[in-house]
Amino acid sequence: MTNPSATPNLQVQLGRLTLPNPILVASGTFGYAREMEGIVDLSLLGGIVPKTITTEMRVGNAPHRTVETSSGLLNSIGLDNDGIDAFISHHLPYLSKQSAPLIVSIAGSSADDYVSLASRLAEQGGIDALELNISCPNVAHGVDFGSNPALCEQVVRGVRNSCDIPVLAKLTPNVTSVVEIADGAAQGGADAVCLTNTLLGMAIDWKKRQPILGNDVGGLSGPAIKPVSLRCVFQVARAVDVPIIGIGGIANLDDVMQFLVAGASAVQIGTANYYDPTISMKLIEQLPEALNTLGVSTVTEVVGTVTSNKS
Amino acid sequence: MSTDHCENPLHADYYADTSVHHSAEVIENVQVAEGTWRVRFRCPEMASKCKPGQFIMLKITDRDDPLIGRPLAVFEITPDEHGVPTDLDAVYLVKGNLTTRLVDVRAGQTLDVWGPLGNGFLPQPTRHLIMVAGGIGQTPFVTLAKEYLGLANYGRDCPQADKVTLCYGARNEGLLAGVETFEAVPGLDVRLCTDDGSLGHHGLVTDVLKQVLEDDKQAHGSNEGVRVVCCGPEPMMEAVAAVSKSWEVACQVSLETPMACGIGICFTCVTKVLQDDGSWDYKRTCVEGPVFDASKIVWH
Ligand SMILES: Cc1cc2nc3c(=O)[nH]c(=O)nc-3n(C[C@H](O)[C@H](O)[C@H](O)COP(=O)(O)OP(=O)(O)OC[C@H]3O[C@@H](n4cnc5c(N)ncnc54)[C@H](O)[C@@H]3O)c2cc1C
Ligand SMILES: Cc1cc2nc3c(=O)[nH]c(=O)nc-3n(C[C@H](O)[C@H](O)[C@H](O)COP(=O)(O)O)c2cc1C
Ligand code: FES
Repeated sequence: MTNPSATPNLQVQLGRLTLPNPILVASGTFGYAREMEGIVDLSLLGGIVPKTITTEMRVGNAPHRTVETSSGLLNSIGLDNDGIDAFISHHLPYLSKQSAPLIVSIAGSSADDYVSLASRLAEQGGIDALELNISCPNVAHGVDFGSNPALCEQVVRGVRNSCDIPVLAKLTPNVTSVVEIADGAAQGGADAVCLTNTLLGMAIDWKKRQPILGNDVGGLSGPAIKPVSLRCVFQVARAVDVPIIGIGGIANLDDVMQFLVAGASAVQIGTANYYDPTISMKLIEQLPEALNTLGVSTVTEVVGTVTSNKS
Repeated sequence: MSTDHCENPLHADYYADTSVHHSAEVIENVQVAEGTWRVRFRCPEMASKCKPGQFIMLKITDRDDPLIGRPLAVFEITPDEHGVPTDLDAVYLVKGNLTTRLVDVRAGQTLDVWGPLGNGFLPQPTRHLIMVAGGIGQTPFVTLAKEYLGLANYGRDCPQADKVTLCYGARNEGLLAGVETFEAVPGLDVRLCTDDGSLGHHGLVTDVLKQVLEDDKQAHGSNEGVRVVCCGPEPMMEAVAAVSKSWEVACQVSLETPMACGIGICFTCVTKVLQDDGSWDYKRTCVEGPVFDASKIVWH
């Protein structure tokens, strides 16, 4: 018998990766975590995903890099980062000593590049998982591996074979069938798939007859995209046997619960960190009560429990 | 916590580690000039940490339009009856999504505020501090003037200047906001100008700056010990930087780059900053600025 008033067990398992709770912070929306140390208690997070790193440093795209749209934010940051060497010397020592699980996000220019990034990081230790960003809309070839199931499988398998760290594949919603790509990732041995990165979009200043973003087009995030990401989670959960991390417009506990019942074992908070910097703390605090409402004592019991109205 | 990472005083590695995120009660929200309002809100924890030139991010509580917060400079830090800093003032120009809604906020309502943010102006030995403001860019200068004139202490030591001058320009008289506040600062020399000549000097704020520099040189034989600080529209800041360079005086600018988080986590607010090797790199204005050495900025 479940005792609804007991403190629920928030721990979740995604393949080989164990997380203390299902509330993580998304890559590119939490800096390198250090910026947030005074505002949130990093040790309470279910996981930290720092900004995506690449082999070489990238200056990123020209401003304007973000523009607000109805209930959303468009960005074309362009993977601005100092490269893996600077990450290892400057950010990793701080990140790896945090008690929250560390999931390092990497983006390569080829399958070999992903493998060499992964191998370099694996040598360092202190990393709990790798997230393959095969879904960045803001760089050339950023989504190649995320829009072709065979390429996706190949890059995931390459990384999986090259190191012992759990591997997550972060997918783009900008494809005809996200299920096929998720299946590719699962075949390649992904411990979980992260659904989703941003939706491709744009904003125009019609008086100047000019796109507002420096890169013309960019990725849409925030509450505006939540229904799309939620749909991706729902579809993949029903079709592919792989754990899921839900990402997209999550801003309150209702959103979290919707993603969990749709099939996500954990969620990442993105854009909401910008406009509500303590949101992750609030969600972690509120989650037990929602689980009690459903009369369950573990997060795992609610994952993927949504029914279909069509069956 | 942050001090060991701030070797270069104009280049804070990350500054949000002293900031807090709070719901703040609005004390008053009043019009102060044409299309310009001042909002005062209660946030003792933030007010006690705030330094001149720092800013806060602000969002109207429970409103998702606009979704993203907006940066506003701290105009005034007001103490309670015991002298403890309690309230912060921001002065804003009614412009777009946030500010057209902010005017409707009444006393007693709450705002989501996080800060204090950014490096602000650092105390540096200065004989004559010349503050140059364009449009709404006057907002960081009330607290700075008070600090350099020894009229307020913001929890740190600041060498006093012999003289502090404000050169403040706007398009017309109606847009000059907060003039009474500046004129009420004892010892502050206020020089106004307008594009249309409706008040003060008829012309550009750089003309006024040149005159102040000339007068200073006449009185002291040289401009040694003069420091120019500047905030306003970018073309104006570029012009002020150029004047300062040709007069060989130190100049710092406070940039108003668009921001989405204010705390260094999104990489929206970048500006091109010269490196020691002569190349440039994008720096985040919110954590590594908004105050930069003018000679380091690559103007667009
Ligand atoms: C460090 C810092 C300090 C600041 N301090 C102050 C201050 O003290 N006082 C102050 O008033 N401001 C200050 N600002 C500016 C402030 O952050 C806001 O930009 C300003 O208040 C306008 O916000 P808004 O939401 O009203 O306008 P927004 O809706 O953001 O619009 C801003 C401008 O962009 C244009 N714009 C917006 N969306 C579009 C679009 N889709 N297409 C084309 N054009 C568009 C608008 O027409 C408008 O001119 C500061 C900025 C920084 C970075
Ligand atoms: C400004 C910005 C920068 C981002 N940078 C990255 C990145 O470097 N790597 C990555 O995998 N995702 C990046 N993302 C995508 C987010 O991690 C997240 O997948 C997406 O924003 C959807 O979630 P949200 O709606 O909660 O923000 C970025 C998003 C934004 C808004
Ligand atoms: S505004 Fe987000 S990094 Fe500066």
